[in-house]
Parts: sequence; structure tokens; C-alpha cells
Amino acid sequence: MLPDANEIRTLLAGSGVAAEVDTVALGTVARVSASDAIDALAAFNAEGYESLVDFDGMDTGEAIELTWRLRSYSMDCEAYLKTTVAYDAEIHSAWNIYASALMPERETAELLGLRLAGHPNPKRLFTTDGIPPLLRKDVPIRSVEEVKNR
Amino acid sequence: MSDARDDIITVGLLSEGTHDPGTPPAGIRRAPTGVDGLATEHLIVNMGPQHPSTHGVLRMLVELDGEEILNAEVTLGYLHRGIEKLAEHRRFDALGTLMDRGDYVSGIMGETAVALAVERLMEIEVPRRARWIRVMMAEINRIATHLLWYGTMGLDTGAMGPFLYAMRDRESLLDILEAVSGARMMFNYVRPGGVVADLPAGIDTKIREFCDAFDTYVEEHDAILSGNEIFQARLKGIGVIDAEKALAFGLTGPNLRASGVDFDLRKKRPYDAYDEMEFDVPLGSTGDAMDRFSVRMEEMRQSSRIIRQCIEGMPEGEHTAKVPKVLKPPAGEVYTSVESARGEVGIHLVTDGGTSPYRMHYHGPSLYALQALEDLMPGHLIADGVVMIGSTDIMLGEVDR
Repeated sequence: MLPDANEIRTLLAGSGVAAEVDTVALGTVARVSASDAIDALAAFNAEGYESLVDFDGMDTGEAIELTWRLRSYSMDCEAYLKTTVAYDAEIHSAWNIYASALMPERETAELLGLRLAGHPNPKRLFTTDGIPPLLRKDVPIRSVEEVKNR
Repeated sequence: MSDARDDIITVGLLSEGTHDPGTPPAGIRRAPTGVDGLATEHLIVNMGPQHPSTHGVLRMLVELDGEEILNAEVTLGYLHRGIEKLAEHRRFDALGTLMDRGDYVSGIMGETAVALAVERLMEIEVPRRARWIRVMMAEINRIATHLLWYGTMGLDTGAMGPFLYAMRDRESLLDILEAVSGARMMFNYVRPGGVVADLPAGIDTKIREFCDAFDTYVEEHDAILSGNEIFQARLKGIGVIDAEKALAFGLTGPNLRASGVDFDLRKKRPYDAYDEMEFDVPLGSTGDAMDRFSVRMEEMRQSSRIIRQCIEGMPEGEHTAKVPKVLKPPAGEVYTSVESARGEVGIHLVTDGGTSPYRMHYHGPSLYALQALEDLMPGHLIADGVVMIGSTDIMLGEVDR
């Protein structure tokens, strides 16, 4: 179910977070600046969005876009929080607001080449040292020819 | 020697008093103090990646004091294939093959999640028959998945027999899945627009026969394990995830419902034909391993109920909508999720108008369950840790992706 965009606007404004809120094909999406992301998550958590059900990032070609998918079981709705950070930026962990961010943050930081601050265990999750951030658009996947010519 | 013994708690002393062995006589190396005098060290043990109770290639580092777990950390990546990166180089109708290899035990659900995403972007109207077939296949797949979990849950607690019975039933289900989709595991059956082929002739009899037999068998399965006193003792009160913790760790599916949170995507966000089906959503109360067991057992009964409804009421019509050979959704962004056997499988699909996704994020519920395990295990015995891993039903294919 979609929460009302105005509700989200009020929710975030109450914590002094400036946000652009729109209802698009994805759902109700709040866009905040990178420095406000943790405050915005805290506001969502305080206002009944009990669970962070998904967190992922995307290389847009110019920067990294992070998406938090939040669900309120009491209000039976989902909202999305988005922010954009520069390549190689440092993102602050949200684990002490939503414990479920622990591993997805490690995954996103590792696969998109971000640095992680304020995380209790900021290690790589899937790949070994030396493997480039795979989900960056400038990291190619090995082509059939390259494998044949090895 | 006497200095080292100050902190030792002695049990069964004959009389109160100081416990000083004094100086041993010549020729004796040390006083015979018994085992109380031995200092124990903490031991770091690698469970996995080849440990049978880790259900795949999970490696768990546990710090042990004797048999008690002090700390646990999961080490992942043994099955990392880069599904999300590969998806950026696949056509939209081929994404299902990647999803099959994600959660490789419940492939139909994963395929459905990605098909729904493409359909929503392209605004494809899926024929009613196709939606019913999807529901039926998903529920058949759900029982097959739960049976595998049921069998391994028995193995984890030291019961060999239930695994064999579970495999017998699972075999009939895989036969049905094979007859319909052509494969036992990597189905690639659900495609954007519908399903790849219509149901083969005579499959309804086969499915009905299975349901008739399974309705009896599932009671046997339940009785064999949950009626067993040892099994109950191993599960009751173990790995308690209360509702608050379940929400904090973002648990979904049976793990969440065992904690008493009534949330099933099939009911709350109906997709395909679930709004036309009648079924109940079982809930637990305390969120311990036994609740997770009971919830999954009841889910199997409900799945059988849904399969019967599908067989009886299967609508006539096309098995797929008319879709172009090469799918080219407009630029956009959607998030679709389905209720898989292990929880919510989510697909965050971003397109740029090309023939393959710009970005596909695959949300697997097991990764979130693993985080809860790290939190649960400290303070328990290692054998209980094994029960916790088994009861949360993690699947490493969708964790590592």
C-alpha cells in the first residue's frame, strides 16, 4: 500500500529534514541529501516504520543512488527513501536505527565501492580483497572471448 | 601452583576450608587436584562451509567456551556468482534463469517476482489462466521447498527417518514440476506475460493424486517430528525471536509469522491470482524454533488447499499474453515482491529503455535471517545453534546471489 506523500512530507519536516516527496511508479519516494539520510531514517523509525526490508544501491553513471525500503506493519504501507552520494563517498551506517541494515550495508559498500562509517563490523561480505566494486558500471564482466583466450 | 587455583570453584568438597594442595613430595610433579584445576580456553571453531548442518556453503565462525557459544559471525560469499551484475547483461525474458539459481529450491517464486516487475513496467495484462497456473506451480514449489526444510530439520536434530519420507513426497512434486516445466530444479517456466507452456494433458489427475496422498502424509510428517519428545525438547524455547526483534532484523515470511506478526504478501499485497484463493495464514506466538516448525507445517497444508482450488477451478484461456520476442520495457523503476517459501523475495528493477535491465537488485530473505542468527546464537549451546540455523531455513543461493 502507498502512504500519502503529504504524510511523509510532514513526517520528515517534523525532524527538520528537507525532502522531495513524490508518488511515482516505484511508490512513495522521499529524496533527501546524503547528510540527512540518517536523520530521515530515524524519523521514519520513530513514526511507525518498524522495519527496513531492503537496502540497495545503484551506479547512475554520475553517482551512487542508495534506496532504503521501509515498511510499517502497523500502518500496512511501504515507503522508499533515496539519496545520492559521490563515488568513493563515506556512508554512515544506520544499524543502530534499523539492525537489518548490518549486512546489506556491507554488501552495498563492497559492491559499489563506498566506505562505511559507524558500522560494528565493516568488512567485505561476499568477495575477497582485490576484487573491484562489481556493480559499478565501469567494471566490465568478463566476455566469452576473454575466457576463451585465457 | 596454589596461586593459579584461587579462582577455581570447587564442587563437592568434603569439608569447608582452604583448598591448598601444598608442596608435592619428591618424585611427584604436581598435586592431584582433579579436573577443577584445569584452566579452559576459548576455542574458535569454523563451522562450515562444508558442515552438513549449515545447509549449503555457510561458514560460521563461533567462539566457544566448552559447548557454549560466546560469539558467532557468518562468513559469506562461497556461492557469490554476481547475479545482479549478470542480470545487467541478460534479456528480460532470461532473467528467470538467474532467479532459478538464486534460491535454487524455490525457483518458481523467484521467476514470478522478476516476471511481475517486467509486466508492471510494460503494462502487460496477464491472462487469468496464466495467473492461476503460476499460483498452482508456486504452491507446488512451496511444498517441495518446505519438505526439504522439514527433512533437514529432522537431520539437524538427529532424526534420520523423516528426511527419507520427505524426499519420497518431494520426488512426486519434482515429477509434477518436471512434467509441467521440463526441469526438476532450474525451471525457467514463468516468463513475463504468463508461463512458457500450457499444462500438459493429464497433469490434473497427477496433481490430484498427490494432494490426496499428501493430505495424509503431512499429518504423518507432523506426528513423526512434533510428536517426538526429544524433538520438542530440542526446539521449544530455542532461538526465540520476538516480534520486536523480527521487525528490527527485517525478517519476512514464515520466520516473521512465527513471531506473531500477521503479514503474508499473498494476503496483504495479492499478486497473480491469490486474491481469488481461499487459505489461512498460520501464526506463531513466541517465535521459538517450534513455532517456526509449526508455521511451516501448517503452510504445507494450506498450500495443498490452494493447489486443490487451482485444479478444480482452473480457468480456460491462453497461457501467456501476446508479448514481443525481445522485450523492451520503457525507462522506469519498479519494486515487486512475492511471498517465497522463505519470505519476501523482492526485485528492484531499473530500466533505461534497453533490452536488458540497467540495474536489478535481488532481495533474498535469508540474508536478513542470517543477521538475526548472529544475534541469537551467543549464550546457547552449539547443538542449539544448529537447530536455530535449521529452523530459520536459510538458503545460501539467495544470500550470496
